[in-house]
Amino acid sequence: MNTTISGKAPTLLLAAVALFLVVGMPSLNAAGAVSDFTLNTWGKYLCYAILAIAVDLLWGYTGLLSLGQALFFSLGGYMLGMHLMLMIGKLGAYKSDLPDFMVFLGLKELPDFWQPFYSFPFAALMVLAIPALLAGIFGYLAFRSRIKGVYFSILTQALTYGAALMFFRNDLMMGGNNGFTDFRSLLGADLRSPEIKRALYLASAISLSAVFLFCKWLTTSRFGLIQRAIRDSENRVLFSGYSAANFKLFVFVISAVIAGIGGALYVPQVGIINPSEMMTEKSLEAVVWVAVGGRGTLIGPVLGAIGVNYLKSWATTEYPDLWLIILGATFVIVVLFLPKGIVGVPAQIKSMIDRRKAIKRDRADDLAAINPSPEAE
Amino acid sequence: MLVPYQLPGILVFGSEATNGTEDAKARAHMRFAPPSLSASIGCRSPILRAWFFAFGALLLSAIAEARPAREVVAEAAVMMDADQQRSLVEGLGEGEPGDVSLWLAKWKEGEVYLYQDAAGTDIAVLLEGEADPEGKQTLSRVADGQAVLDADGASVRASKDDLYLADTDSGLRRVMKGVTDRIALASPDAKKRLQAVQDTGLEQDPAKLVLLEQRLSVETDRSIRNALAEAMAMIRLRDGDPAIREAAVLELGELGSIAAQGAIKTVRGEAEKAGQAELVAACDKAQRGIEGHIARVNTVGTLFRGLSLGSVLLVVAIGLAITFGLMGVINMAHGELIVVGAYTTYLIQNLFAGGIHMSPFGLKINIPGMNLSGGAWDCYFLVALPASFLAAAGVGLLLERGVIRFLYKRPLESLLATWGVSMVIQQLFRLVFGANNVQVESPAFLSGNWTVNDIVFGWNRVFVIVFAVLIIFLTWLVLNKTSLGLLIRAVMQNRGMAACMGVRTERVNMMTFAFGSGLAGLAGAFLSQIGNVGPNLGQNYIVDSFMTVVVGGVGNIMGTVISALGIGMADQSLQQILGNPVLGKILVLGAIILFLQWKPSGLFATRSRSLD
Repeated sequence: MNTTISGKAPTLLLAAVALFLVVGMPSLNAAGAVSDFTLNTWGKYLCYAILAIAVDLLWGYTGLLSLGQALFFSLGGYMLGMHLMLMIGKLGAYKSDLPDFMVFLGLKELPDFWQPFYSFPFAALMVLAIPALLAGIFGYLAFRSRIKGVYFSILTQALTYGAALMFFRNDLMMGGNNGFTDFRSLLGADLRSPEIKRALYLASAISLSAVFLFCKWLTTSRFGLIQRAIRDSENRVLFSGYSAANFKLFVFVISAVIAGIGGALYVPQVGIINPSEMMTEKSLEAVVWVAVGGRGTLIGPVLGAIGVNYLKSWATTEYPDLWLIILGATFVIVVLFLPKGIVGVPAQIKSMIDRRKAIKRDRADDLAAINPSPEAE
Repeated sequence: MLVPYQLPGILVFGSEATNGTEDAKARAHMRFAPPSLSASIGCRSPILRAWFFAFGALLLSAIAEARPAREVVAEAAVMMDADQQRSLVEGLGEGEPGDVSLWLAKWKEGEVYLYQDAAGTDIAVLLEGEADPEGKQTLSRVADGQAVLDADGASVRASKDDLYLADTDSGLRRVMKGVTDRIALASPDAKKRLQAVQDTGLEQDPAKLVLLEQRLSVETDRSIRNALAEAMAMIRLRDGDPAIREAAVLELGELGSIAAQGAIKTVRGEAEKAGQAELVAACDKAQRGIEGHIARVNTVGTLFRGLSLGSVLLVVAIGLAITFGLMGVINMAHGELIVVGAYTTYLIQNLFAGGIHMSPFGLKINIPGMNLSGGAWDCYFLVALPASFLAAAGVGLLLERGVIRFLYKRPLESLLATWGVSMVIQQLFRLVFGANNVQVESPAFLSGNWTVNDIVFGWNRVFVIVFAVLIIFLTWLVLNKTSLGLLIRAVMQNRGMAACMGVRTERVNMMTFAFGSGLAGLAGAFLSQIGNVGPNLGQNYIVDSFMTVVVGGVGNIMGTVISALGIGMADQSLQQILGNPVLGKILVLGAIILFLQWKPSGLFATRSRSLD
């Protein structure tokens, strides 16, 4: 399945692109050639790309279509959001130490589970731990009872739905319907200053590169081999003495953590997080990016996430009514005709030409067999 | 103290009214037309006046001795002696009920005035007609509706200030209330009668006890008899004799009277003060009885709601049980097929009313409607049911031919592609019908409710259950008793073998999918009756319906039925226990995940020796 172009040239190209994203864009921004808005938008795309890699690690490499990755993405965002909410301090509308929505709900004191979020390291740890914990518990239950294929998808969908319902409630003390917004500062710096925006972009670009390299290493290792074996024939893996459930659980947790990191980087850049971000539709949108880009590769999801979102930014301003139709139709077309996504297009064309050639050759052979040439006689 | 009412008159009237003989009804109807109106008609048109008098004569002969209420009121209003006045008013109880309440209301609300004519006699009058600049109006006699004339034969005009108000003291008003209550208790409309009985009970006026007893002796409606017993017991709570109070308390407890809770509490408080231990104990016992009754009512109510929610789930999921359960296609556009059905119902409804007027994509669509109303309009739903089935089946057919048939071997991909389709359809709905919900009115036979023993059964919820049973039966019939069903089952069990036997599997797939989609459309027609219809309608049900099918066991219609009812019941019971709908829902989702731990392939797993 892994049909990407191999060899040194692509690796160099990738390195160049990474270098441009990590070094080029921010310096261009500092020099004034790239606007703050564009940089911010790209920062958002890169976070989406991280989410897309998380989806691909599960779907493309292990064959598990999770409709709950947006949940882990939002959970990561919520964890950092809690810290950001506390950092607003008395600058909120109610001039209280408590986040505005708590004052609104009539709370006098900060709930206990909010207390540790004053510390940034704790919040950062939770960004990794909470998605991992939820994925661990859910994955353990799901894989233990050998739920797979579409059943796994439907169950993750239910999980996401349940979680979103929970976050919509006010008494969870997570901001209810409105979620968290109106952030002011991170690590003492003003979130609205161009410097901190650039720093956040930089963090996203570096994280994406790191996640990419980590996944590259993981999928090319022996572990990656088993991962793909599970995707292609889980029973054979089982019969070979591997505990497929443990492998799947591990990938599921890793993927949740990656999604969580993406979410944590996303929230300070867009300045808002609410339960609608964790709905199933968002997860499915991430699946679209992967499908369009090309699953089972690492570059595909990144391309897909950036490409589809770029298209979205353009279409929602130019043709706001038609965007969903464009997205839906693209998706249907990609699923029907481009099972390997954009990345797989060259290979698909090549195989098509090869087949043509083969047919022609066969025909020529047949003709030759029917009408033997005079020399042969 | 009130004098006992004259029984025979009430008896005669009451039975006549409840039997609803045709002319009694007609009379009540005629006399209900405001007398002031008939009076004014009488003034203008001699023919109508003649009709009116003829009718009046007929009426007089029908109700033998009873004098028209207006005459009595006219006489009573000018009376000086309070006792005589009261006994006159009491006598009104035998009159035409609509008339009596109307005239008493006019009197009580201060519309009746006293006018002293030249001879110095008081006449009860009403102010009628347009007020002139001085605020003067013509006077009409209460007694017969004739204008009051002065010596010269000209009609007298006066303003409110020139006249004395025919006022009523509290004693008289109580008598009036007694009369109107008696009339209400005899009302031919069972609902009004029930309401009157309940109101009388809550008043706890000992004087009304006789009234209720009289009613009880003639009442035939069982629920009203119960209400009467309850109301009488409630009145007896005020009795001077503690023994009677105790008996009443115990009776209320046995009746499980929710309304009496407060009154019993009061009695208990008084008994405690007076040191009547037995009465206190009786109150406690009654209270327990009532609480038990409330608990039973709530339980039955919850079960009923659970059953109806389960039926909703069932109707929504049954289509999916076919497309997903039997065919293995993950159709994320199932929700949109439901919406197709709902919007079809909406269009049919409009077709029966004002017509369809829309302008999607710049096209002007104007289809004139039939402008029906009432019973004929109600029939739209009967047309909408097959129409929504066909519309959704058609869309399903297109979906199957266009997308799904390429993906039978790739279920995950069918999930993704149909999700793309669902987004396109949703957006199309937004563009055509607008993003807001549209109004679908329920036909009259689906509104209203039915109360048994304090438990309310809404008609639409009852309908939901009946409809679900019908759909299941229909599905069962199609799958098990038709040749299409036979083919469907054969292809679903073993596609290859069926093809070898000459079954055109492609066609069967197509038909099966269209059938499942049509069922989704039916679900839409049906959801339009119990909730809003909007482009997002389907999204609210998609997770639930997939859950229902997965829990029931894929490929098993019976499993879907049981799981839908189970999930519905669990949801409603948890809501009842936790008092929080969302938390209940979350717990149900959690419970489903845990349930699948125990039975990974659902309630009824299809047994198979094959791997995967």
